[in-house]
Amino acid sequence: MINLLSTLQSWFAIPRKGWELTIYLSISIAICILILYLIMCIPPRFRKAIIIMLTFIGGLYFSIEYLIPKENALTRGMPVLSDILMIISCFALFLGIGNLFRIHGRSVIRKAEGWYNGAAFFVAFFSIIIIGLLKDWRMTSLAKLEPGSAKYIAVEQAGKINADIYSILFNGFLASLDATMFSLIAFYIVSAAYRAFRIRSSEAVLMMVAATIIMLALVPVGARITNWLPETGFLSIFRVENIGYWIITWPNMAVQRAIGFGIAVGSLATGLRIWLSLERGSFFDRQL
Amino acid sequence: MEVSIDHGNVAIYIIEGIIIFAILFNIFRARKGKKLFIRRIPGLSALDEAVGRATEMGRPMLYSPGIRGIDIVGLQSMAILSHVIRQAAKFGSKTIVPVADALLFTVAEEVTKDAYSAEGVPEMFESQDVRFLSERQFSWASGVVGIQHREKVASCFYFGSFFAESLIVAENGQMVGAIQIAGTPSTTQIPFFLATCDYTIIGDEYFAASAYLSREPTLLGSLVGQDYGKFLIVIIMFIGAIIATIAANSSNTELINFLDNYFLKYFPGGIK
Repeated sequence: MINLLSTLQSWFAIPRKGWELTIYLSISIAICILILYLIMCIPPRFRKAIIIMLTFIGGLYFSIEYLIPKENALTRGMPVLSDILMIISCFALFLGIGNLFRIHGRSVIRKAEGWYNGAAFFVAFFSIIIIGLLKDWRMTSLAKLEPGSAKYIAVEQAGKINADIYSILFNGFLASLDATMFSLIAFYIVSAAYRAFRIRSSEAVLMMVAATIIMLALVPVGARITNWLPETGFLSIFRVENIGYWIITWPNMAVQRAIGFGIAVGSLATGLRIWLSLERGSFFDRQL
Repeated sequence: MEVSIDHGNVAIYIIEGIIIFAILFNIFRARKGKKLFIRRIPGLSALDEAVGRATEMGRPMLYSPGIRGIDIVGLQSMAILSHVIRQAAKFGSKTIVPVADALLFTVAEEVTKDAYSAEGVPEMFESQDVRFLSERQFSWASGVVGIQHREKVASCFYFGSFFAESLIVAENGQMVGAIQIAGTPSTTQIPFFLATCDYTIIGDEYFAASAYLSREPTLLGSLVGQDYGKFLIVIIMFIGAIIATIAANSSNTELINFLDNYFLKYFPGGIK
């Protein structure tokens, strides 16, 4: 069975091109639509039972794979499952894009307040898709042409222009805007720190003292304050950099690990409830 | 036998076995009618207060499920979202849910629809309330910031996995004067939420949220089972600290080998 799956995996992994790729994609999409249709056709009372069964089998697979003490036959199937999850996510992405189109389309059509933001979305969306597809198409076409021929040179030049525009859109706009948002954190840290350091309670005092020591320990001027203390021996523990190191390594690490253990046990309990379909509340116990 | 951290070993079988038994035992005990106590968690109690404030101000609320997709944290966030929407539906308040993952978006939309229906006001659901913004971290953050400022949200809820964008969205929530409640298992982001939010739910309190809000016996039983599990871990840590100290300071090779073979070996990555 495992060997059969491995063979299938290798067969599916062979890169397809041209019409062959189109046929494979069409068949895959048709199969996925058929599966979705069949799921929708299942009467609601059986639908829940099927979902419970599939959840249990999926959980069992991952549990057994992990609990066997070394790499095993099930480990080889993990990449296939990852691929399946990625495909399901891709289907959901269409729904996400649909939502974007609906919200921004409505805003543009109705000329609602801020409609130009919606228009900017459509311009950005179609620009990067068209330029990206053209870039790839030209690269593929180039591989089929004879190097040095007039058509080759023309396609190569057009490809370069496409690549440049794509680079402007991606690196010039998207990456720069991402970096801008990220850099804002520096300013927000200052205002957040100011608010956190206002002494309102005994815990706030403790936090402020610890933060001040850590800050001083990390800058050269902080180290100079206690430079007069010896570098070795008992008194060395009172040097700012040593106190800062102690706070980060011991109390801070102990708390981080304590929180980590709590999260791990919480995740285990939630995972167990979902796996065994014991979860209640929200959408888990509703009629599907 | 080589012990790997990528796969289970005897120690994991025993510890996980005991914790799973404790969780299931308490779930079934609670289902049989055993009354279980759960301490007050101020952040979760404040959820209703935040919904009420938004109603009084006549402004919408923002519920952010973080930037990760469907995982344990995401599913917990959906359970909390359901509670927030139901409360909002009771008061007739609007909630905007900006999502960064397409798969989670579909679930969030269903949960929101379902919560409104459960409160008998399905017509309150508007398709633009649950918004898929972007799968890119900072694009999503800038989208959320835009919503916070344009809609002048009165309450912000941040429940899920967050990374560097946590401070950006929470600080902008502060700027618009919203009451803010955050809950995340992302330990690196907890300080940012503590500094910017009115209430912060940290660590495993996040996983207690659905039990605390619904008071469902199954969830309460599971929560008590988790506490047994944490108690077991504390005992193991205590014993481990003693054994590791003996192993590090003893000159008796036989004793060190014994401790290594029968205890320390099963906790790879630890100090030997």
